[in-house]
Amino acid sequence: MRNIRGTRHSLANSRTLTAIAQDPSVKFRGQVLTTELTVPAEELLAGPCGYRVNVIDYDASTDTLYKPMIYGRSLDGKYEDPFAFKQSGRSSVKARRLHHQRRLEDPRFHAQNVYAIVMRTLAQFEFALGRRCAWGFDGHQIHIVPHAFADANAFYSRDDRAIFFGYFMGSNGKLVFTCLSHDVVAHETTHALLDGLRKRYMERSTPDQAAFHEGFADVVAVLSMFSLPDVVDAGLDLASGGRSNLISSKLLERDVLKRSVLFGLAEQMGRELAVVRGDALRRSVSLLPGKPYMSTLLYPEFGEPHRRGELLVAAVLNAALDIWLARLAKIGPVTAGKKDRSIVRDEGARVAGHLLTMAIRALDYCPPTDLTFSDYLSALLTIDREVVPGDYQYGYRKWLLKNFNDYGIRQAGETDVDGTWKRCDQELIYSRSHYDSMLHEPQEVFRFIWENRNALKIDTDSYIEVDSVRPSVRVGPDGFVLHETVAEYIQILTLQANELKKRLGIIPPKGIDPTRRIRIFGGGALIFDEYGQLKYQIANRIENTKHQQARLDYLGESGFFDEPPPPTSPPGPQSQLAQLHRMRLMG
Amino acid sequence: MAKEPTSATIRTYHVGFGDCFLISFEYSRKSERHVLVDFGSTGFPKGVPKSRMMDIAKNIKQRTGGKLHAVVATHRHRDHISGFATEKAGKGTGDVIKSLKPDLIVQPWTEDPKLGPEATGPSGSNAKIKKFGAGTSQQIAALSLMHEVADQSLAARNLPKDLKHEVGFLGESNIANPSAVKNLMKMAKNSYVYCGSKSGLEKVLPGVKVEVLGPPTLRQTDTIKKQRLRDPDEFWHFQVGATALAAGGDKKRTILFPRYVESRSYSHRINARWLVHHARTVRGEQLLQIVRTLDQEMNNTSVILLFQVGKKKLLFPGDAQNENWQYALGQKRYQSVLTGVNLYKVGHHGSLNATPKSLWKLFKNKSERKTAKRLLSLMSTMEGKHGSVYSHTEVPRAKLVRELHRKSDLFTTQQLKGKDFFHDTVVKF
Repeated sequence: MRNIRGTRHSLANSRTLTAIAQDPSVKFRGQVLTTELTVPAEELLAGPCGYRVNVIDYDASTDTLYKPMIYGRSLDGKYEDPFAFKQSGRSSVKARRLHHQRRLEDPRFHAQNVYAIVMRTLAQFEFALGRRCAWGFDGHQIHIVPHAFADANAFYSRDDRAIFFGYFMGSNGKLVFTCLSHDVVAHETTHALLDGLRKRYMERSTPDQAAFHEGFADVVAVLSMFSLPDVVDAGLDLASGGRSNLISSKLLERDVLKRSVLFGLAEQMGRELAVVRGDALRRSVSLLPGKPYMSTLLYPEFGEPHRRGELLVAAVLNAALDIWLARLAKIGPVTAGKKDRSIVRDEGARVAGHLLTMAIRALDYCPPTDLTFSDYLSALLTIDREVVPGDYQYGYRKWLLKNFNDYGIRQAGETDVDGTWKRCDQELIYSRSHYDSMLHEPQEVFRFIWENRNALKIDTDSYIEVDSVRPSVRVGPDGFVLHETVAEYIQILTLQANELKKRLGIIPPKGIDPTRRIRIFGGGALIFDEYGQLKYQIANRIENTKHQQARLDYLGESGFFDEPPPPTSPPGPQSQLAQLHRMRLMG
Repeated sequence: MAKEPTSATIRTYHVGFGDCFLISFEYSRKSERHVLVDFGSTGFPKGVPKSRMMDIAKNIKQRTGGKLHAVVATHRHRDHISGFATEKAGKGTGDVIKSLKPDLIVQPWTEDPKLGPEATGPSGSNAKIKKFGAGTSQQIAALSLMHEVADQSLAARNLPKDLKHEVGFLGESNIANPSAVKNLMKMAKNSYVYCGSKSGLEKVLPGVKVEVLGPPTLRQTDTIKKQRLRDPDEFWHFQVGATALAAGGDKKRTILFPRYVESRSYSHRINARWLVHHARTVRGEQLLQIVRTLDQEMNNTSVILLFQVGKKKLLFPGDAQNENWQYALGQKRYQSVLTGVNLYKVGHHGSLNATPKSLWKLFKNKSERKTAKRLLSLMSTMEGKHGSVYSHTEVPRAKLVRELHRKSDLFTTQQLKGKDFFHDTVVKF
């Protein structure tokens, strides 16, 4: 069979595009640090507009639509990277600098930058989860608006199916474009993807859940930057102060690497952008381990969602550092006391890549409502054990557990000694549901849950819904493919404040209107193995008094009940239909 | 003069959306002492003559017999201080007030010019700053930056209609009013107050105890759980930088990449229109959020005063909202003082979060029955200017107005019709 290009060969499935590696304020050897990102290949429309991303360069502050980036079709099967620097003979330093400058002043490069980073982040999620990932809204293509408005802000909006990037005047009188900051783009993309995987994480719940969206987006942004060898290279430059091919082992000590690669790069990143991105990298690297930060009584400042999210970043980055060192310990010196710098660099980027994959995979093993950091840690450890049962080589799980504990994050309550989730050992009825349907149909999974509601300890007074059923495929260390099916169900129990004590043993927040309706959430992730048997039920139960009490106390303290309940929605299609029916009845 | 006043008459002026109250304390032998609490407006209902503000200024002059004893400017919002603005020819309403030679001007600590970043030198070296808490000069700087943002938000074009109205209203309330500010600074001796400080009013009002319940200083704010911005001046500085790019009329607005413009204003290609519509709305909402935030920050600099004669108490909280109230309401001493309030000037024109539930609960004189001791409440407001019914943010908030009607003797300026532009309420001591 011939393809569109008239050949029998497969089409290229990836292409490279030049993008900014950190942000324009980070210079490497006198130039803005750029990198070539590998993204899925496709025939792009002007924008670029592809199968998942639609870049529209509209500025709402000035009502201006800028020209789209147009990619030419390549006939020899190779895709062109239009903003790559083309070495022609003896290109002077000046010519290179001019090229860099022109690129930054061209909105089409800005469009390419956001497109490439969003697509790479999406590809990282799909690689980690072994399936296609949806955005957090109906529809397939997310709108990316690189110069949306003059505002020191950038955000994902579910309702608008878009990520908006603002621009503003920096303190030095120069324009700051949030769309040129690699971590800001990756961070916002992660919000959109996490929202697609776990839409209930946007609900007001515990301090951890509020912090998770931010913390996780920071973890993905930072790891995806450090998984670029160019970025690690820049960090090593800060450590060694030179460009030698060898690097002294003295520089590969934990403290030195932390100071140079992590803190050094954080210091270089645009100060102004801290208003937009927060300061997670810098702040989390400076956090001293060994303190009970998670206790909001002892450390009230870590009750604030962004600060709390920094704990997650601190734990993951410090684990990355330990694993990197563990891997470097196995690499011998080239000459006395010196190691091959390129191997050191690649190992660093590899660790970041591995942890990024694990961090994303762990989402499948998290409860779908009222998430805590402890749940996430146990999910992280479990998912790794599933794929790599022996942790002997580099000790990924050991380092993760240690570093999370160092920042006050303990494994969840119902886990094994190694912090992983306990396997499901209930006697369950499978005979009334069909294996094949269970792989993709929420109706079938619901039937399974309904049949097994007692064994699965599911409260039937609550509203129960299967939110999603997703297949997941991963390659194990033996080279064989590991199939899993991940289904999420959620439960919602709505009670008046004065019913809480009797029904769930919860004391309502002080001063609350006794008739105020309060929604209590529960739910779980069901992980089915390749034989369709339930491996794990990772659940938050509605009847978990301690957990539900903590949630309500937090909501009360953070002023949730001081606000009026959300307004009833304006007349929608339902009421229009009701009106139409009434008119028919009235003749 | 007698040691204590025997009664007070509170004259509530109809300033449309704004506040203006004249409190006249009557002592024996018909001698009186007058305090003007705010004088400002951001808009009148249709049919109100243009001379209304001047009519009020003249009425104040007449009522006080040419002598004001004190002025309280609760905070710097236009709807509270626009009446203090002067004119070059000396014919402004502020000139009239100035001619009444008040002895004292009471304002929040945030208005103290000695706290401005230019005046203080390095942060922390000034004793006052140390007293008020870290970040004081940044907070003061942030307030003036907020004026700039407000000013620029007025120049914003291309906003959806409903958002344009609200952004415009809030923007106007928050723009700087240099003439009024200068007049207040120079008119008389100034007393800059904070929760727990002396008001200075006792000297001009013999026999009247005046407690200052707000605004809290930053040090006081830090003692309650509420988070505040770490670097407010930096945050607002960037907002100024951002909104400046889009402000200043069509010609000045920055087109980022003039060589790459595809289309401008309503002629965008078909496949971009859905997004264009959404982006415009989102940008309007962002702008609204910004001006709302700065509006609240300004409201929360409001002076909260409690006048007390014998056991009778009159509470004037300006536009203080929850965050301002939170510190005083957390102190047991103030909780017990507030229980006996006899007259309450409804905070922030009747918005919901300016009368915290915990405050309303404290008032023991509220009653469903019309007794002699029943709580009196005064509200200066105008419907349809601020917030929306759909989002439960309308001012005045219907739910609060119902409660005020049910449990207090409520007078609202909306009751004043035709040529009437003030209403007197008498409190006997």
